[in-house]
Amino acid sequence: MAKPKLLTLSMCVALLFGAAACGPSLVLQGVDYAQPIESVLSPNSNAEVHDQRYAVKFNLSPVLEEEGVSSVDQVRLIRNSAGYYFLTAAGFNNVYVFAPDESELSLETKINITGSGLQQPAFNQRNGQIELVDMATGDTYNLDQNGRR
Amino acid sequence: MKKVMKPTISTLAALLMIFAGTTVFAQQSDYQVQQDYRAEYSEISQDIDSAVSSDDVSQISDAINQLEAEYSGYEELLNAALYPETFQGQISDLRESLSGTENNIVAVEELNERIAQLQSEMEDLRNQIVQMDEEASALRQRMDRSASNERRLSALVTQYRQNIEARDAFVNDFLENLLSKYQSMDVQTQSDMAEASESMDDNPLALIQTVLSEYINQADQESNLTAPDYIRMRAQHAYFGDVWDSIGERLANTYASESPVQARQEITDLLSTWEASINNKLWNSISTDFNQNGIELPSFSSSDEFATALNTFVDNSIETAAEQNDQADLDLFQSFSDYWNNTVKADWGEYLVNGDVLTQGDIAEVDVKLGDWARNAEPVSNLMFILFLISLAVILGLIVLLVTKKS
Repeated sequence: MAKPKLLTLSMCVALLFGAAACGPSLVLQGVDYAQPIESVLSPNSNAEVHDQRYAVKFNLSPVLEEEGVSSVDQVRLIRNSAGYYFLTAAGFNNVYVFAPDESELSLETKINITGSGLQQPAFNQRNGQIELVDMATGDTYNLDQNGRR
Repeated sequence: MKKVMKPTISTLAALLMIFAGTTVFAQQSDYQVQQDYRAEYSEISQDIDSAVSSDDVSQISDAINQLEAEYSGYEELLNAALYPETFQGQISDLRESLSGTENNIVAVEELNERIAQLQSEMEDLRNQIVQMDEEASALRQRMDRSASNERRLSALVTQYRQNIEARDAFVNDFLENLLSKYQSMDVQTQSDMAEASESMDDNPLALIQTVLSEYINQADQESNLTAPDYIRMRAQHAYFGDVWDSIGERLANTYASESPVQARQEITDLLSTWEASINNKLWNSISTDFNQNGIELPSFSSSDEFATALNTFVDNSIETAAEQNDQADLDLFQSFSDYWNNTVKADWGEYLVNGDVLTQGDIAEVDVKLGDWARNAEPVSNLMFILFLISLAVILGLIVLLVTKKS
């Protein structure tokens, strides 16, 4: 009779230590990261863009390299409610969706829009999705972090 | 068939418009909306700053209403874009700013109106002054030509005197008008007027100079004017000087804002010249007038000397009357008393005091001495002496009678 009791006691202690080792767990649900209006940012000579209002700064060079262009005048950046950043620019064929991480933005999805390059792209926040409009052609695309909707 | 076609075409057109609208809406960029809004807001703000008329204000007010109507559908979007400001907050700011501008414009328009009115008044005043000056000049010429005809000359001098009096009355109205306008004028209005008056061809300061120049010319002319005319001029000069002391600084700051000290000095110099011109004629004319009434005053050439001359004459006359007590003293007293009371005090009194020719104290002093003079000039009666002699004779007679009876 003593063995099962000792076993039970040992298990309880182990469970207690295990729970203590995990630390306090607090999660805020339903966070809305959505930017109401896109940011239109001009890169500096080092291809860095700085969104003063939403406090994000990064270097654009890998995206430019990916698009095969050396520079752009402006990039359009918007964040959806899930917290993903959507980036594109005039002349780009794609929209880049980045997930924020510690000191980095990692590519979540690269959404191909056109083969001939966007002419006047603009992002809108529409009903939980990101709307991409090419103002020159009137083409509209609904996007999320997974691709076109 | 046509009846069927018409609604079909209009329905098609409506659908096309809806489709076009939908397309436009679909192609809208929120970023562009807020950029357009900011641009329009900024343009209206600039328009408010540069508005110069009530019409501008009205147009801007319409533009604000239009801006509000055009973007009220994007209020939520704009509130997010404009944070921490809001769309309605900015519209209210525009209206408030426009209201302030409107108040300023109303004030400026009122000021411009006042300037236009002032300009018109100045023109009228100058025209009237020029006309009066021309009349005076014409009268002086006619007097010169009529020097040999005493009767005609007298009539012209009377006319000239009336012209001077009318001119004085006109100038006094002008000065009173200036006093009421500028005596209590605040610094801000003064500054506004100064700015606005730069466009004026004529101004009160220039008009005052013209008036003073003609006054000097008038006093310098040989025009058969007499003592009361010059005494009146002194009074007019004193009033002019008082008004200038009251409002001169404000007028100079308003209408000669670049060199107010110099402008004030110019007017002050003209006032001094005018006074000197009057004085050149005044003392001689007063002396002549006294002489013509049998009163030989010691010579004088200032207010103090005139008062001293009067007192010396009266004191000497009292002394002479006390010593001699004859009819001539009484006649001189009567003559002086009549002239002093009926002419000097009655006709000139107000102007003498206002023009600082004599003070009330000087006049009162002569009045008191006239009483002494009257008592000394009155011949002493012999009746009492005769009665005394008769009484003495009666007493002596009675004594002699008594002595004679006893013996």
